[in-house]
Amino acid sequence: MKVSVFMFINIIYIIPLFSQEIKLDSIKINKLKEVVITATRTERNLSSLPLPTSIITAEAISKTGATRLNEILFEQTGLITVPDFGGVEGIQIQGLDAAYTLILLDGVPLVGRSAGTLDLSRISVGNIDRIEIVKGASSSLYGSEALAGVINVITKKPKINMLSGSVSYRYASFETNDANANIIWKKNKLSGNIFGNYFTTNGYDLEESTTEKTVEPFRNFTFQPKLYYDFSENLKLIIGTRFYNQKQDYRTIISGEKYEGKSTINEWNHQLKLTHKWNNKVQFEYEVYATNYKTDEFLNDSNNELLEANFYNQWLFRPEIRKTISFQKNILTSGVGINHETLNRTYFSSNITFNSQYAFLQYDYNPTKKWNILTGFRYDNHNQYKSQLSPKLAVNYKISSFLSLKSSIGYGFKAPDFRQLYFDFTNSAVGYAVFGYNVAAERLNELDNQEQILFRTNGIDFNSALKPESSINYNIGSYYEKGAFKWETNVFYNAISNLIDTKVIAQKTNGQNIFSYFNIDEIFTFGMENNLHYNVNNTLKISLGYQYLIAKDKSVIESIENEEVFARDQNTLASFQLNKKDYFGLFNRSKHTSNFKLLYTIPKLKTTINIRVFYRSKYGIIDSNNNQILDKYDEFVRDYFLTNLSITKDFKDAISLQVGANNLFDFTNPNEISNLAGRQTFIRLNFNF
Amino acid sequence: MKTIFLKLSVLALFLSLTSCDKDDAPKVEEASILEIKTFNNLYAPQTGGQGQPVGGEFTKFSFSENAIVTSDSWDIAFRGTTILVNGGTEIGITNEPLKTGIASVSIVNDVFENIINFPNDSSFLQDGVNTYAIATGSNNGWYNYNPTTNLVLPLAGKVFVVKTHDGNYAKFEILSYYQDAPSNPDQNSVGRYFTFKFVYQSESETNF
Repeated sequence: MKVSVFMFINIIYIIPLFSQEIKLDSIKINKLKEVVITATRTERNLSSLPLPTSIITAEAISKTGATRLNEILFEQTGLITVPDFGGVEGIQIQGLDAAYTLILLDGVPLVGRSAGTLDLSRISVGNIDRIEIVKGASSSLYGSEALAGVINVITKKPKINMLSGSVSYRYASFETNDANANIIWKKNKLSGNIFGNYFTTNGYDLEESTTEKTVEPFRNFTFQPKLYYDFSENLKLIIGTRFYNQKQDYRTIISGEKYEGKSTINEWNHQLKLTHKWNNKVQFEYEVYATNYKTDEFLNDSNNELLEANFYNQWLFRPEIRKTISFQKNILTSGVGINHETLNRTYFSSNITFNSQYAFLQYDYNPTKKWNILTGFRYDNHNQYKSQLSPKLAVNYKISSFLSLKSSIGYGFKAPDFRQLYFDFTNSAVGYAVFGYNVAAERLNELDNQEQILFRTNGIDFNSALKPESSINYNIGSYYEKGAFKWETNVFYNAISNLIDTKVIAQKTNGQNIFSYFNIDEIFTFGMENNLHYNVNNTLKISLGYQYLIAKDKSVIESIENEEVFARDQNTLASFQLNKKDYFGLFNRSKHTSNFKLLYTIPKLKTTINIRVFYRSKYGIIDSNNNQILDKYDEFVRDYFLTNLSITKDFKDAISLQVGANNLFDFTNPNEISNLAGRQTFIRLNFNF
Repeated sequence: MKTIFLKLSVLALFLSLTSCDKDDAPKVEEASILEIKTFNNLYAPQTGGQGQPVGGEFTKFSFSENAIVTSDSWDIAFRGTTILVNGGTEIGITNEPLKTGIASVSIVNDVFENIINFPNDSSFLQDGVNTYAIATGSNNGWYNYNPTTNLVLPLAGKVFVVKTHDGNYAKFEILSYYQDAPSNPDQNSVGRYFTFKFVYQSESETNF
């Protein structure tokens, strides 16, 4: 009997994913699913939220055939995948670099931005329930890094007594294998989710003539158990951990000689959370989070002698207490916490510690049924930089049952990172040096005493601390949902000041420059985002997404106004002056990005066809005419289309087969787009029990 | 609350309005009566570099003669990316040519042809102990060095107004650092060959 009960429960669980018969119910379920916790740290309905927020459901992820986080984020409107050092991909939101988006895993932050960008392919999507994306500054809740947005990856959690699981295997081009196993159960008080993933790929090579591949072969595995224990209705415990290990080949050629090595990543995330409901109104959450991100890499020459070895070892330890008080229809959320962060790495003279304390308060106020006002602030006190107060105000107004308007204004900041403060790097081949702001003065004096300094740049001192980069973010948008139509719009504006960049602080007697980090630039980004969804009928759903974006540097505009910016004519070699119209904006920003998605179901065949087409307009990655800005006379990366296709067929006993192709038409641009591998076909077999 | 919306929409409107770039009026270029000359492929070799001590003779140039000179009557001198003026004191580098003149240089950011009036006297600099009138290093003086392509490219709109060794004036702009001034230099281009255009003025005390 037990078996059949389990079977029954499994069927219920699987219905929204695999059954076609109960179409009406599944629409209801979809609506229920649109609950967001990232925006307010309490469960909130998506449509009434005053912030630009979106959700990617497990169902949507599985229909695309994506296996890693970067692949699924790439397909969302307004999230632009940007390649960074070493094949790492980051996400640009509202025109801001990947370093300015906070990535959360079940509400706690991932660390390990060794060069600024967090590698999103670290995260397997096999056990994800949904991904929540909140755009715009959210420092009022999350502090540093939540400047452009917050992406919260939420894992599956059983809600009713059940035992279910799945195994899947996917083979794709470039000898890419992805194997998943996931067990999820609940038996009265104890429930859990155990997930394992093994991924291996042979990488790819866009330029066959070189010895190095564009992306070298790597393999990784993820093990992620999570246990829930309900002492009572009012006292619940969550213990979760995640272990990730990756090994990648490391190859390079220096002056004709081959070097080979390996680079290894080890990552641990431990989360312990106790939820205590005092009564109907008051709830406490006690959370302890610890994470460690560690890399080691080495290069040997052909005689197996070590050329270089690098390491990076970052720890974050964060206890936090949150309190939620609900009264009438209003919610007051508050929290206090401590961040204790350490980093030891190559090119640091010592182990560095960051300590900060913070407190936040948020009031979610519903004066009438039509109005929702969300306001709050967070205060971060830090031992390395000026304390930050991050306020926020957001308003949602329901015009009718299907249309609401939303607007928000908020402050966001990103603290100077370890590298910007403590880097101690001298290039051994050429001889230039980069010093972090906090160590630069001392290192300069040392070099001065050794008579290695030719001169110092005038007017540079390190007396006042490096300031955090900060932004003011505005959003105004609307949410329309009626019948088969859903239409979301948002207009955004971000003014960012104190952007940190490198500047020459001195010149060495060998003629090379010494750099350090300073608050230099002020930039702004503005644009508009549009998402239109239409369920044509029960079998056909289409959606259209579009983002318009302008991102510019204020000082460049000023320089152009002051008639200080020139370019060189490639043919006559003569210089000419640029005007404001010639300035294109920041690097790596496209004015237009768009996507079209189609999901077609053939009920008779239990088959769905999912086609997605993406467009990105031209953008610049280099200043080809040598005036330090991107202008219309520079060479641009041409605009392009990408098409992803996946076809999923379900068989009786919860077996599904998926075939598809990412980058169906095999578009590549080897010189300019390193993260486009060419067509990748795949086949996946999934078994649920 | 309606006022907040109003303010925000006014703001949005304001933003969209201010973002529309206004056209700058086209500049009327005044024709210079003096002849613009171009000197091609001034070869300025150096030894060392890449961490080794830099050396080698400087290649000396005279604006009035429009030629490389070996005498002391030079105005500017080149070695690799380093440029000296025939004025001021010894910098203290190897193979430094003897400075007998009163040359100095003022750096102006403008289109070459637009520079008519001489800059203020106070903006003219000479070489000194450990300092260069035309600063060395990428983006400091006349060029930008791109570590990815390993190319040295002259900064656009950098014009050097030179008071010559004997007190006359010249202005010059470096067009290329590579042999035969290719329009798109690449890895195969041969460096340390300066091509520059200049105007020499021996008549006026105030303008070109």
